[in-house]
Amino acid sequence: MEISQIHLDVLREIGNIGSGHAATALSTLLQRRIAMSVPEVWAVSFQEMAGVIGQMDEPQAVIYVKAEGEAPGKAVFFFPLESAEIVVQALIQSGETPDLYADELAQSALKEVGNIMVSSFLIALAQFSGVPLHPSVPALAVDMAGAILDAILLEEGTLDEQVLFIDTQISGIPQIEGQFIFLPEAGSLHKLLGAFGL
Amino acid sequence: MSNTVKVINVGMADYKTASTPDILMTAGLGSCVGVCLHDPLQKIGGMAHIMLPKANGKAGDNPFKYADTAIALMFKEVLALGGKRGRLRAKMAGGAQMFSFPGKPPVLKIGDRNAEAVADELKRLGIPLLSSDTGGSFGRTIHFDVSTGELRVRTISHGEKII
Repeated sequence: MEISQIHLDVLREIGNIGSGHAATALSTLLQRRIAMSVPEVWAVSFQEMAGVIGQMDEPQAVIYVKAEGEAPGKAVFFFPLESAEIVVQALIQSGETPDLYADELAQSALKEVGNIMVSSFLIALAQFSGVPLHPSVPALAVDMAGAILDAILLEEGTLDEQVLFIDTQISGIPQIEGQFIFLPEAGSLHKLLGAFGL
Repeated sequence: MSNTVKVINVGMADYKTASTPDILMTAGLGSCVGVCLHDPLQKIGGMAHIMLPKANGKAGDNPFKYADTAIALMFKEVLALGGKRGRLRAKMAGGAQMFSFPGKPPVLKIGDRNAEAVADELKRLGIPLLSSDTGGSFGRTIHFDVSTGELRVRTISHGEKII
């Protein structure tokens, strides 16, 4: 389907409400202030992907949760390693820097962050659009951002020519940075927009 | 003509060709496969960043996405640059499985299928596959030196090697 300006505006609003809820959830979880930027909506080709996620071989902790239901999509958090370490330390109340590659407790803490944020995002989305959605079990990978992103894009074994992102920057005190993206599947977009009479 | 080495970046679902002394590179291969062609005498080559195994008639959307269509196109371009059919050699890296969901079998191991499709297409074109570094559950960044045919594979937690 053709994506028009009004579609983009609606998607940005969906992203805004959803990520606002997700930020509140993270804020409560970590007991510190977390802000999320007004989302950007992108429809990009693969060649432009680096423009959305930055350095493709930069190591990041990435949490991936599928939104399942009538309008499926994929929710992805990118945390730079230092930020992921701070998030884990705040959650498990430890002063030691966790080894994100090997420490199972740190890894499950990060998955829980993803779970809670995506649940809040999807609850907001469902309330707003009337389309019920629920999160899958979260998965975590700590590796090159581009490598993780391609695996997520290709997970179903098919791929549209343009990838649509709802993209939000996360920032918190102290020094937490991250990126939340939501990728609605092609058919889902129609359903979500349909709920708004578009 | 300057002698400085250019590093040519190959994006997702794209391919590039190059001649000595340039280097072809692609960053952050996950389930995708980077496949390189090389003519050691002409010191030319190409690199493709493959996302999916077979076009199955859907190449119209973007032939550079698929192993079969992308390699065939790159092969033609390397020949046009002066490469000789019987002299071309290939190497590949990538095709990892970055995620596994607990309780769910990995039904579609897209990384393995990509690597397999690349090997099939090379065989069909009669290009020997000299070496490969595929599989695992980690990302790879690759640099291909078209002067020497060396493929440098860098990872974050599994070291670096030249194949």
